Amino acid sequence: MSAWRSAVFVTGLAAAAAMGCQEKVTTPSRCPALCPASKVELADTLLPLADTADTSVRGFVLIREATYLLASTLDSLQAVTLIRFSAHDTLWTVSGTKLDSLYVGTQDSLVLTLSLAQRDTTVKNLRMVIWRLPAQFDTGATYQSIQPFLADSTLIDTVAIADTAIAGSHTFNIADSLHIPPGDSGVVSLAIGIVAPSKTALTFGSGNLSTAPLLTTYVHARAPFDTATSLFSVSPSVALFVLNPAPVQPPPGILAVGGIPTARTLMRLSLPKLVVDSASVVRATLLLNTVGAVGGFAGDSFYVVAEPVVRDYGVKSVLWPDSATSGIVLVHQGQSGQIQLDMAPILRFWGTAQGDSTPRLIMLRGYPEGSILGAVNFASHTAGALGPQLEVTYVKPYSFGVP
Amino acid sequence: MRRAPAVLAALLACAGASRAAAQDSVFGIRGLGLLDRGVSGKSAALGGGYVVFDPSAAVNPASLAGWHTTAGWAVGAGSFRSFDYGTGTSSLSATRFPVVGFAGGIGEKVVVAITASDYLDRNWSVQQTDTVSPRGTPVVASDNTQSAGGVTDLRLAMAYRLPNITVGFGAHVLTGSTNTSVSRHFPDDSAFVPYTQAQTTNYAGVGFSAGALVSPLPGLVTGASVRVNGRLRATTTDTAADVPMPVEVNAGFYDQPLPGLAVAGTVGWASWSRAAGALAAAGQARSRDVWSVGLGVEVGVLRLGRRPLPLRFGYRWRQLPFPIGGDATTPGPALSEHAVTTGLGFDTAGGRATVDLGLDIGSRAAGTLSESFTTLYVGLTIRP
Repeated sequence: MSAWRSAVFVTGLAAAAAMGCQEKVTTPSRCPALCPASKVELADTLLPLADTADTSVRGFVLIREATYLLASTLDSLQAVTLIRFSAHDTLWTVSGTKLDSLYVGTQDSLVLTLSLAQRDTTVKNLRMVIWRLPAQFDTGATYQSIQPFLADSTLIDTVAIADTAIAGSHTFNIADSLHIPPGDSGVVSLAIGIVAPSKTALTFGSGNLSTAPLLTTYVHARAPFDTATSLFSVSPSVALFVLNPAPVQPPPGILAVGGIPTARTLMRLSLPKLVVDSASVVRATLLLNTVGAVGGFAGDSFYVVAEPVVRDYGVKSVLWPDSATSGIVLVHQGQSGQIQLDMAPILRFWGTAQGDSTPRLIMLRGYPEGSILGAVNFASHTAGALGPQLEVTYVKPYSFGVP
Repeated sequence: MRRAPAVLAALLACAGASRAAAQDSVFGIRGLGLLDRGVSGKSAALGGGYVVFDPSAAVNPASLAGWHTTAGWAVGAGSFRSFDYGTGTSSLSATRFPVVGFAGGIGEKVVVAITASDYLDRNWSVQQTDTVSPRGTPVVASDNTQSAGGVTDLRLAMAYRLPNITVGFGAHVLTGSTNTSVSRHFPDDSAFVPYTQAQTTNYAGVGFSAGALVSPLPGLVTGASVRVNGRLRATTTDTAADVPMPVEVNAGFYDQPLPGLAVAGTVGWASWSRAAGALAAAGQARSRDVWSVGLGVEVGVLRLGRRPLPLRFGYRWRQLPFPIGGDATTPGPALSEHAVTTGLGFDTAGGRATVDLGLDIGSRAAGTLSESFTTLYVGLTIRP
C-alpha cells in the first residue's frame, strides 16, 4: 500500500505542476501578419420610415391622476386648480378631564398648506388667488365654465408667495373664518389661480404620488368651553385643474408626447431584416423633427422614452417591462429641430428569440409621465423628409472563413 | 488488468479536460493552426529524437512494443511565452495536455493501445485598438478576436513483435472543434454598444499509420513510420470545406554505444503542401512541406537511492507549414522553431509509476516576428 500512496502523491504533484499555470492568452495583434484575415467594418445607413404607421393619442394619464396641480397665466396655457376638501370633524375628544368631547364652536383661522413643485423663480411678487367654489362643483368643469365663479364676490383671499419660496411645503393663512352653509355638510371647495407682474405658472402636489394640499381649520369649542382650542386638517376628495385651451387629441400629422392629459405615440416600423435580425447593430438612432418648440416650464427638461410593444392592443398595447430595452433621450423646454433617440436596445431586443415574435411597434411617451408639464410634438411620416428616420450603424457580416 | 478500467477512466477524464484548458501561440492564427507536439516527457527532454521509439507518443505504432505490461499515461505541459510584436512584448502562458493513452498486451506478441493527442492547436487571442469614424465622428474601437479549440488525434493502434522486427499499425480519427469569436468594444461613454459574433467549426477526418522497428546491430535500433491522412472536413452551420491532410514520414535511430549512455535522433517530413490549394481557395496563404529534426542524449550515471535517474538533453528544430502573413498568391515569411531541451525521469511506487520531466526552451520566428517559449512537460506513466 505504501507504493500506491507514493503513486497517488506523485500523481497529485504532477497534476498540480501541469495544471497550476494561469492562462494568459491575449496579445496585441501585429497586422497584417498576425491579424485575422477578416476585419470588423462599420457601415452607416439612413432609413426613411415613410411607410411607418404612426398615431398619437392623448389621455394616458388624466388630469385627476397627475401628480401635480397647475395654476397658470401663460398665453399658451391658462389654468386654475379646483379642490374639494372633505368636511372636518365637528367635535374633538379631550382626555384628562371630566369631559369626553368638545363641539366645534367658532373658527379662528383657515390655513392652506401646499407643496410647491415648480415655479419660475425669475417671476417675482407672485400671488395666489383663492376663490370659493360651490361645494359640489362639477368635476367635469372646463376653464370657461368655471369663470363665473372666479369673481370678486367669491374671492376669499389673495396671498403672497415669497420670492424665496422654492419646492417644498408652504402654508398660507387664507381667512379668519369661512361660513359653510348647512347644506354643504362641512365641505369646502376652492379655486386657486395666480397673478404676477408677468405671465407664469405654478405647480404643487396633488396627492397622487405627491404631497396633497391640506386645509387646516383652527377652532374654539362651543361656550362655555370656548377657551378650548383645536385644529382640523383635511385632504382633498377632489383635486384637478382646468385648462385653456382645453386639451384635445393630437391632429393628424402630429406625433405628440407628454403634456396633460398625457399623450403617447405609437409607431409601427417596417425595417429591413438586416437591421432587426442581426446582433451587428452597434448604434441605431430614431431621428425625430419637432413641430414647434418643446413645451413646459422655462428651463424644464424631461425624457422622451421609446419602449417596445409586446402585445398590440392599439393605444392599450402592453409594453415590454424591461427598461434596458428602451431608448431614451432628454429634451429641454424651448428646444426645437431634430431630436435623436437611441433605438439600439430595441432593435437588439427584436433580434432575440424573446423579442422576435413581438410586433415591430414602439410607444413614445414622456418621462416622468403625469408629473411634468413638458410636451413635445414631432412631425409624422406624412411630413416627408421631416418625418421620422432611422439611422443605423452596423457591422458588416464578418467572415471567419473555413477552415 | 482488473485495475485497468479505473486507470482508463482517469486518463479519459484528463483528456476531456484538456480541450477547455488548452491555449497556445498566436502563431496559430494562420492556416490550420499550430502543429501540436503530442510527445511524452521523455521525448520532450530528448528533443523529440526519441519520438519514433516512444511508446507513449502517437507517432510510430510499432513503438507500442515497448510496453511489456498494461500501462496508462498522461502528459501535462505548462508553457510560458514572450511574444515580440514589434513595439513591445507580451507575456503569455498556457496549459496543455499533449497526450494521454492506455495500452495492454494480448499474449506476448501483440500490444494494443488507444491514445488521444493534440494534433492542431487553434487557441489564440489577439486584440487590436483603432480609431474609427462612424457617422463622421472619431471613436476608439477595441477589437478582440479569439479562437478556442483545435483538432485532436484519436488513435487505435497495435504492435506485433516478430523475431527481428516489430511492426505496428494504427487507425486515426481526427476530431475536434473551434469556437471563434470577434467582438468590438467602444468606450463606456460612447453612444455605441458592443458587438460580438461567433462561429463554431467542427472537424472530422481519418488517417492510417504504419511503422517498424529493427535492430540491425546490438544496442542499435532503427525505426520508421509513415502516416497517411485523408481529408479534414471542416463544417460550420452554413458552409463546409475539405482540406487534404499530409503524409507524414518519420525515421530515426536509438543507440546505446556505452553502458549508461543512449543517443536518439529522428528526422520527420510532412507533405503539408497538399493543403495549400484548399487554403488558397479560402483566401489564405499556401502551406508548405515541412521538415523536423530532433536529437537527444540520455546519461544514466546518477541514481536516486537505488533507482536510476537518467538525465536527458536534446535539441530540436522544425518548420511549421503555415506562413505568417501573405495571401493566396504571395506567401508570407515561413515559420520555424528550435529549442534546447533537458529533463529527467524516475520510477516510483515500487516501479509501478514513472515520472518524466522535460523542459523545452526555444523560440519560433517568422520574419521580424518572434516568440520565445519555455515549456515544462510532466509525464506520468502508471503500470498497475
